[in-house]
Amino acid sequence: MMLRLAAVVLLLVLTALPLSVGPASPPVAWLAWAALAVGGVGVVAWSVPLVTAAGVLTLIAYALALVIAGPAANPVAAIALGATVVLLLALVHFAGRARGAALGPSVIAVQVRGWLAVAGLGAAAAAGLLAAAGPLGVALRGATLPVVVGLAALGVLMTVAGLVAWLMGPGRAGPGS
Amino acid sequence: MTWRPTALNLSLLTVVGWALFLSVLTGRVELAVVAVPPVVALVAGRRTAPPPAWRIDRELSTRRLLEDDCVTVTVTLRAEGPLPLVELLEPLPPKVRLAGGRHHAFFTVGRTREIRWTYELRGAGRQHLRLEGLHLRVWGPLGLAAAETRHRAPAAVAVYPRHAPIRHLPRPRRTQTFVGNYVSPAQGEGIEPGDIRPFAPGDQVRHVNWRATLKLGTLHVTQHHRERNADVVLLLDTLSEVGREGDTVVDVAARGAAALAAAYLARKDRVGLIEYGGQPRWVRPGAGRAHLERLLDSLLSASVVFTYVDRDLDLVPPRILPPQALVVALSPLLDRRFVRAATDLAARGFDLIVIAVSPVPAARAAARRSAVADVAARLWTLERRAELDEYRRRGLTIVEWDGVGPLDGALAGLGARWRRRALAG
Repeated sequence: MMLRLAAVVLLLVLTALPLSVGPASPPVAWLAWAALAVGGVGVVAWSVPLVTAAGVLTLIAYALALVIAGPAANPVAAIALGATVVLLLALVHFAGRARGAALGPSVIAVQVRGWLAVAGLGAAAAAGLLAAAGPLGVALRGATLPVVVGLAALGVLMTVAGLVAWLMGPGRAGPGS
Repeated sequence: MTWRPTALNLSLLTVVGWALFLSVLTGRVELAVVAVPPVVALVAGRRTAPPPAWRIDRELSTRRLLEDDCVTVTVTLRAEGPLPLVELLEPLPPKVRLAGGRHHAFFTVGRTREIRWTYELRGAGRQHLRLEGLHLRVWGPLGLAAAETRHRAPAAVAVYPRHAPIRHLPRPRRTQTFVGNYVSPAQGEGIEPGDIRPFAPGDQVRHVNWRATLKLGTLHVTQHHRERNADVVLLLDTLSEVGREGDTVVDVAARGAAALAAAYLARKDRVGLIEYGGQPRWVRPGAGRAHLERLLDSLLSASVVFTYVDRDLDLVPPRILPPQALVVALSPLLDRRFVRAATDLAARGFDLIVIAVSPVPAARAAARRSAVADVAARLWTLERRAELDEYRRRGLTIVEWDGVGPLDGALAGLGARWRRRALAG
């Protein structure tokens, strides 16, 4: 019961973040509601794929809100969004596995400590990267836009491909569950 | 045990991919920042070093129990290092229910490095309950990596059929040579007084009947009846079965057979068992507590085995089916082959009682409740009654048992006629 309550709170925080960017426009509100509905079903069924879909819908709503409102950069909300997605996915994954099982003493406490530590580490890493990005932005100020976009796209591709290759390295042939 | 990434990695990668893609598409740095915590989680969740060594011990509170009784399983897990999250699962066989606790659990092995976990299992129906072994899974941080293995430690528990005490046991007509509880017509050493006869050399003084001696003027002694045991052979019909798994007519008949075996063995009789079915099996008549366990073990595996080969009771050797034995057959009398075999035994002079286990309640319990099913059950009961009357006319002694009430109640209805016949025999 406590796990479900925590998941609902995290889902509400997650779907409310795109709406906090600026005045809520109808497309953003609709996407946020859709994310809430899909995520709600995911929390009820303890389904990681549904909660992932809710996270992606929230990201799209967040991007749309940023494009429509065009506010100044707010890294705190972005870090909160990323950390909330991680916490929500970890919680739903654990709760789904532990459904109907007996939980030993201190299992929940140890798990929550672990999740908060990783989320905190992620937030700290994001803050550090933002601090390092300042000088890089100054260096690229004279570059043309297509070059910056091309480099960013290449960076995205390499990041994702690198992560996949690293996680599915030799001797790790497929998901365990 | 090797670590493997779980499906959660794919979810986080999806979020990272979408965040970076949208960041490039919109040119907003916030979306790239969103991807950082999931990337850190993916990096933090990866594990390469093997988990610490562990050992599992599993203990069962008993190796033998009766139907619907519980066995307590205690699992002890010892690890050489801390394990943040361990998942243990004991897969349950089909005819086993959880009576207490859970058969699936999560634990954190901390500084004490030992956890104890108990749960109770209930054997629903006679069976050889076999627990194959535990599944163990060690989870990495955030559930992003898992290492799993199977701890193979098979353990077996014999779940014997439940048997209620029986007071109205059918009395065998013929007795055997060993000491038992039945008063034999033969004269000899015993407690029950018999005839009075004139004293003969060799008679013991303590047998002198002084009252008769004074009345008749010469020494007379009291003879006694011997107390003897009997051979009882339980004939179990496994040619056909009706009903839900765990409550079929064969299960009911096995419960009846167990109750009869326990009751006759308590009276010092020798009890044998013949399973008359696709694959006939038997247990030679014997006495004692160990023999009861042998019979119960044999009843555990009594089941219907289909075969085209038609076997007869003539195959059974005389030492398994002694001519002087009381044969108690337990059958739903659904298969003509069993009726033929029982009629044949009665015709050969065997002391035979057929306990007709009614298949109607078992079939009724397995079927969905409806008015049509009710009518069908009533018609079947009437038809069956007519059939049993026909068998009685052929000379079979039949006791009807619905399998729901106690067998003792059904045997009480056997009546004084059988007792008189037995005493006269």
